[in-house]
Amino acid sequence: MKRVVNILVASVGGQGGLTLSRTIAYAATLDGYSVKTAETLGMAQRYGSVMGFIRVGSSIKSPLFDPGEADYILGLELTETLRRLHYVSSSGLVIVADEYKPSYTQSIKHPSLKAEDIILEIKSLWPKTIIVPARRLAEKAGNIRALNMVILGAFNALSNLLSTKSIKTAIREILAEQTALISIKAYELSYSYFQQTL
Amino acid sequence: MLTRSSIFASPGVKVPLMGNEAIARGLVEADVKVLVGYPGTPSSEVIMTIQPYSRELGIYVEWAVNERVAFEIALGASITGVRSMATMKAPGLNVASDPLLSAAYCGVERGLVVLVADDPGPHTTQTEQDSRWYAKLAKLPMISPSNPQEAKDFTKIAFEISEELKLPVILRTTTRVNHTVSDVVLGEIKKIAQEPRVPRDEPRFVRAGMQWNLERHKWLNSRLQLVEDVASKYSINSSIGEGQLCVVAEGVAYDYVAESIEELDLSSKVKVIKLGLLYPAPRRFLLENLVSCKSILVIEELDPYLEEQVKITLYENSVVIPVYGKTTGHTPLEGELNKYIVKRALASFAKSALQEISILEKIAVSPRDVLPRPPPLCPGCPHRFSFIALKIALSRKGFKLSEVPIFGDIGCYALAFNPPLSMLWTEHSMGASISMAMGAKIAGYNKPVVAVIGDSTFYHAGIQPLIEAANKGVDLIVMILDNDVVAMTGHQSTPAWRVSESGRVLKPISVESIVRAINPDFVITVDPYNLDEIISAITDVISKPGVKVIIAKHPCALLERRKRVFENKYYVEESTCKGCKACIMTTGCPAIVMENNVARILVEDCNGCGLCSRFCPYKAIKILARGTSP
Repeated sequence: MKRVVNILVASVGGQGGLTLSRTIAYAATLDGYSVKTAETLGMAQRYGSVMGFIRVGSSIKSPLFDPGEADYILGLELTETLRRLHYVSSSGLVIVADEYKPSYTQSIKHPSLKAEDIILEIKSLWPKTIIVPARRLAEKAGNIRALNMVILGAFNALSNLLSTKSIKTAIREILAEQTALISIKAYELSYSYFQQTL
Repeated sequence: MLTRSSIFASPGVKVPLMGNEAIARGLVEADVKVLVGYPGTPSSEVIMTIQPYSRELGIYVEWAVNERVAFEIALGASITGVRSMATMKAPGLNVASDPLLSAAYCGVERGLVVLVADDPGPHTTQTEQDSRWYAKLAKLPMISPSNPQEAKDFTKIAFEISEELKLPVILRTTTRVNHTVSDVVLGEIKKIAQEPRVPRDEPRFVRAGMQWNLERHKWLNSRLQLVEDVASKYSINSSIGEGQLCVVAEGVAYDYVAESIEELDLSSKVKVIKLGLLYPAPRRFLLENLVSCKSILVIEELDPYLEEQVKITLYENSVVIPVYGKTTGHTPLEGELNKYIVKRALASFAKSALQEISILEKIAVSPRDVLPRPPPLCPGCPHRFSFIALKIALSRKGFKLSEVPIFGDIGCYALAFNPPLSMLWTEHSMGASISMAMGAKIAGYNKPVVAVIGDSTFYHAGIQPLIEAANKGVDLIVMILDNDVVAMTGHQSTPAWRVSESGRVLKPISVESIVRAINPDFVITVDPYNLDEIISAITDVISKPGVKVIIAKHPCALLERRKRVFENKYYVEESTCKGCKACIMTTGCPAIVMENNVARILVEDCNGCGLCSRFCPYKAIKILARGTSP
């Protein structure tokens, strides 16, 4: 693998973007990698625009990376992914949930938009984009809030960066018991869905 | 999110920790006994991490009513012989500055460390305050880590330095250290003997004696002479690489420098001087490492503090070397740094061939113009009811929103400045709503004036302004939005709680009991969820003389959600919805979105307050009973 893998998480506050970053960081440490993340907690947390940086590899210095340097963009929401698309590197992969949560201003100014419109825009700008049926898989796992773990499953099936064992340990360490069960289920459903698709 | 194992895990184990969690582990390793603070991003997680284990660890860890009280508690504990820390965000240090400056004169017994978290960006702070100047102002040693590992290690070192010098030490961090997660190697948990004993020494602790104060000032200045020597034992300053091009950096800026040097392939030409001790600047170390340089670039966030220190050091030693940094425009004076800015500064400094390469050439997709998503009030937020009620009450009394200034305060409710509520005219500093509104009245403004303040901000800094307003008798409407929690910073306790996060049994002190003791002209407590009731409460008092306090009391919707208070959710009947957007434009609730020209309620985000259904002219918003789907 490259010396450093850069991952950008784009989400709306409350979707579990921070938990996703934390799970990847934890699992990567268990797998023996060096890791750095940068997040903006606080006021962006609730329904605001949230961007998280994760860097996995060896001897990482900067917690941030620049636009054009993301090997992966993990999108929990379509408009937020579009907002951060310039972070993708020339060989980067975008993995995004088919989830449309327009902001107040977008709802008012462009009420006719729908998920498919944003999907088309992202795909036309960046063909190396995987759309994840995230809501369906999360609901199947037992809770729409496990959407972040669906994206994690897709990411790991496509990147093979982390061991599933470490991911499961990380989820159990970070989340409460009941949430961890659903999260692991969501991860597994998505992971095998994408393994079959590949 | 710190797991139990990280607090209790054995030395040598490597765990991913956020900077603030690393500081928390550092406090455990340093055997700290008293940990107090006031919530403030990005500093809050230090206390939150230890709270669940307070009893087990034997640490007093609580939120104080404000930062100055927190600092004074920590100071009192420290002179009594136990290691203590006070935590705060940058503006909190302004609140604690009065006792801080005097603490430099009396000094400490056991270690006292003040954690102050600056916020270059800013991400969540009213100013880009550079708290490094406070070290200079208060004449107190300041050290600063550049990553989570150092955050843990420097916490321990800060206590050692504090005890050796008998001075409080300021541990200064920035957002990108506090909120960065990185793998951290844990250290020894060392128990130290700490016997409580209050020393009696008037010249040292009584600031009423002017001769004593003069003597203590001399003592303080003599202590400052020792700091570089004491700090040098811990290798917190270092020099990396060789070359005549020299870069001086501190904090996370060092990491941007290190990575940029690698990417620009400059490692054979550039020497980096990384400082952990920021005040007093380590002059001998700087001179030793800079004297043979051909030119110097200082990379730092916020003000050109180190740049000044470097220039003074060179000048005092009659060394003439060009120094570049913020004053030469190599890096900006505002905003946070990142790798790109630092790389450009370094390329220009080193006259690297890569200098002309624009980052934009590397970008595969150019940035899209996506409408911004400022954080709104949450679904079900009781503040939304209060603001809509205020709007309706003002218009019922014939006032235009453009003629009734609403002075806001610091907390979630300040987000009501965003459309569609667009209610706040100011958000200034903790507690300023009431006093600034009073100022507007005293200046002669003859229309109603409203102050809006939250419960925690009221406890923190709103009580004295209310005393002032009630005492002087101005005409003022004060709305205290009491959601029973410090919501904005992550749901910390207030003095109204019965049990704190660490399990301590508290004596609850309600907002209303304090307001009644101040005895303004009118007090009423209403539940804003009863919209008609709060509208008429506000309508009734608008034109009355005197200070009228309306306490709008309803728990934070996120707390109620966690406790599963909400019975139902709501949904939009698609066939009935005409796409008029009234629901969104009235409430601004983030659980309602427009998609394909109809409104849709995101079922997982709806907290079931039902406010939107009230404003739908077509009655398209209906109750969705628990467990069913639309």
